[in-house]
Amino acid sequence: MTFRRLLNSVSLCAAAAALAAQGLDPAKLLQPPRDTWPTYNGDYSGRRYSPLTRINASNVKALTLAWVYRANTGPGASGGFGGPQIKSTPLVVNGVLYFTVPDHAWALDARTGRELWHYRWESKGGIHIGNRGVGMYRDWLYFETPDNFLVSLNARDGSERWRVEIADVKQEYFSTPAPIVIRNRLIVGVGGDSLDVPGYLESRDPETGQLQWRWNTTPRPGEPGAETWPNKTAMEHGGGMTWLPGAYDPELNLIYWPTGNPNPVMAGQGRKGDNLWTCSIVALNLDTGKLVWYFQASPHDTHDWDATQTPVLIDGEFRGQPRKMLAQASRNGYYFLLDRTNGKNLVSVPYIDINWSKGVDSRGQPIPDPAKEPKTDGVLVVPASGGATNWPPPSFNPETGLFYVNTTTSYSIFYLTDTDPRPEGYGGRDTNLWSASALKAIDYQTGKVRWTHPYSGRGFSNSGLLSTAGKLLFGGDPSGNFIAFDPATGRVLWHSRLGAPVSNGPMTYELDGRQYLVVGAGDTLFAFTVL
Amino acid sequence: MSRWNWICALALAAAPHLAGQAPPQGGAGRAAAGQRRNFLISRPVPDPAAVERGQRLFVAQCGFCHGPRANGGESGPDLIRSVLALRDENGELIGPVIRKGNPEKGMPPFPMTDAQIADIAAFLRSRQQAAINRNAYTIQNVVTGDAAKGQAYFNGAGRCHTCHSPEGDLKGIARKYEPVALQARFLYPETRAFGPEGRRNARPRRMPVTVTLPSGQTVSGTLEYLDDFNVALRDPSGEYRSWNRDGGLQVEVRDPLAGHQELLPHYTDADIHNVLAYLVTLK
Repeated sequence: MTFRRLLNSVSLCAAAAALAAQGLDPAKLLQPPRDTWPTYNGDYSGRRYSPLTRINASNVKALTLAWVYRANTGPGASGGFGGPQIKSTPLVVNGVLYFTVPDHAWALDARTGRELWHYRWESKGGIHIGNRGVGMYRDWLYFETPDNFLVSLNARDGSERWRVEIADVKQEYFSTPAPIVIRNRLIVGVGGDSLDVPGYLESRDPETGQLQWRWNTTPRPGEPGAETWPNKTAMEHGGGMTWLPGAYDPELNLIYWPTGNPNPVMAGQGRKGDNLWTCSIVALNLDTGKLVWYFQASPHDTHDWDATQTPVLIDGEFRGQPRKMLAQASRNGYYFLLDRTNGKNLVSVPYIDINWSKGVDSRGQPIPDPAKEPKTDGVLVVPASGGATNWPPPSFNPETGLFYVNTTTSYSIFYLTDTDPRPEGYGGRDTNLWSASALKAIDYQTGKVRWTHPYSGRGFSNSGLLSTAGKLLFGGDPSGNFIAFDPATGRVLWHSRLGAPVSNGPMTYELDGRQYLVVGAGDTLFAFTVL
Repeated sequence: MSRWNWICALALAAAPHLAGQAPPQGGAGRAAAGQRRNFLISRPVPDPAAVERGQRLFVAQCGFCHGPRANGGESGPDLIRSVLALRDENGELIGPVIRKGNPEKGMPPFPMTDAQIADIAAFLRSRQQAAINRNAYTIQNVVTGDAAKGQAYFNGAGRCHTCHSPEGDLKGIARKYEPVALQARFLYPETRAFGPEGRRNARPRRMPVTVTLPSGQTVSGTLEYLDDFNVALRDPSGEYRSWNRDGGLQVEVRDPLAGHQELLPHYTDADIHNVLAYLVTLK
């Protein structure tokens, strides 16, 4: 063996050792996040609750800027309309932070914000509305592109490992979700609501990208659920996108995924029926992709109220008995609490004043008022198509037992514009009249709003929320302030105006005994800490 | 220039009337606004002349089975959401089907020239984009109410007459706004209604505000900014003034649109259509 070859094999050994030390073991995702934030919601529960306490209610006023990183997508950028908006929740693994905007992924030193690499993708079309971030498995990252490729990158240098096409951009699919890694499965959703394509959720092999299973969000003729559609064409063009990551219960081996609204979006005359499994929360077997139960948040939706808000897993008491539950503050204005072993409804209560529902049925599912479906001359509906909340992630704090969500009360006139018996696309539109936003804390067992913080500023907040064991709740207002609240009372403890409204879900991690709090506002990531 | 920006620029160039709708502002803002309105369309917009030729050809030769709007008819399938038509760029995929027909499904061959097939492709693309571009959907007739009932609501339950009068501020209102914009604006006057008119008339409201300082001194003006932590106003001399809201500052905002906001939870849809029917009589 020559010296050079010896040196080479030593480097190889060193590389192998580094490989073992680096990377993300999927088992790590089963633990509460401390030195990592290894998946979109921090862990599989969707709670966005951190056990970290170094930043806490007693020192939050001393929060100071640790670093700032501006996402420069470069000249001719395709980062999004109106400039890149960071809607992704960063991951942090082994001291490296990963985040995205459409067509772009970055790795930063999580201690300093120093850029380690920047990966650019050239999309061939696709709506560039947002990207929720990356998934990680060992040394590999995964992200989805506006033209529907699932791309695997080497986490160390951002080099591309492989790409697979998961949907057809020419049919107007565009993909925004963050892939979720569970064991040796990569759970991948798709998006696209412009031209009535059917939604699905896929499990793929994290090593190769090969398909393991696919679950369609709308049935095919003869399948269960087909009876909730009038015909084959309607169900095969029925929408139901899987825009956002779901949750996972390792004991039950069930994944919980929220689904999007049916298509055509506002013209329901060609799809009479409940339109399963759109606007639903579904439980699927992780290994087979088979449906175990469903709960439909908006049967026969005609208002663009997808039900893709984060399903939050709660282990706690319900009326004195321990129970495995799932909570969602849905875009249509209802808070739902379900038994996640079987989908049985426990609570269905509106968390804003709504005017489109005639109550709930025996399964706890809202009954839409046909009088409030879009009409050619317009109907006044609360909330607007943007919903009582939207994609920004909520937070559940097990210490307070409160479910936190940024809400909007809004009035809109909904018009039916396509009166054809076979409408297409949206088939309607709505005019937003007035809106006001507020942070609400909901008692998870009753759905009652325990406290409300109305924002003085106008517009709506696209900010996600984070609560911590440091007795803090973080979120953004519509005016560009990043705020720390007392999670028990809603009292404001600290704020900083970031120059643009918070545009993602804040996250936190601890390195070398220092806790960092990272939030995106427009094209910039801000990291705060207490020295 | 990336492909995306290039496509946006192309979409803008093909739709100059859209570019003309941009609010008066700087060049960068204008471009951003143009992109925003066209972000739904990511493929080139076809030549309008080709679309028109294609439409004539389609209605005459294909419409009988596929429907004049191409969304399907008695015997032919929808072509707007057809995967083949969506994957087609310029007739290379639909051309062979048109020329060979599909005898098993009852479609005869149509001997068209390359130029004719390209025109059909342009028409189908325009139909696809008309369905995709929801921001350009046309609202149908909204004047469906009863003007007499609307007038009664105006002077009765709605209490509109306490601030407005048909002889005063509302004189000629129906000449100023199209019914769709009028409906949105009487419900909430700050609404950015659809179309160029809606954008042109969208003015942020001027809200009088009085700030009482801890000393007891009061400063009044027009509200410039308000959040949970800060307030700013422009005083009658034109001076911009701002304060932190902590430390016992009192802020009193008089929202001139409060009456409109308070009515929103109380309207029936019939009230809305009746009031609009009344307002459109104020020419």
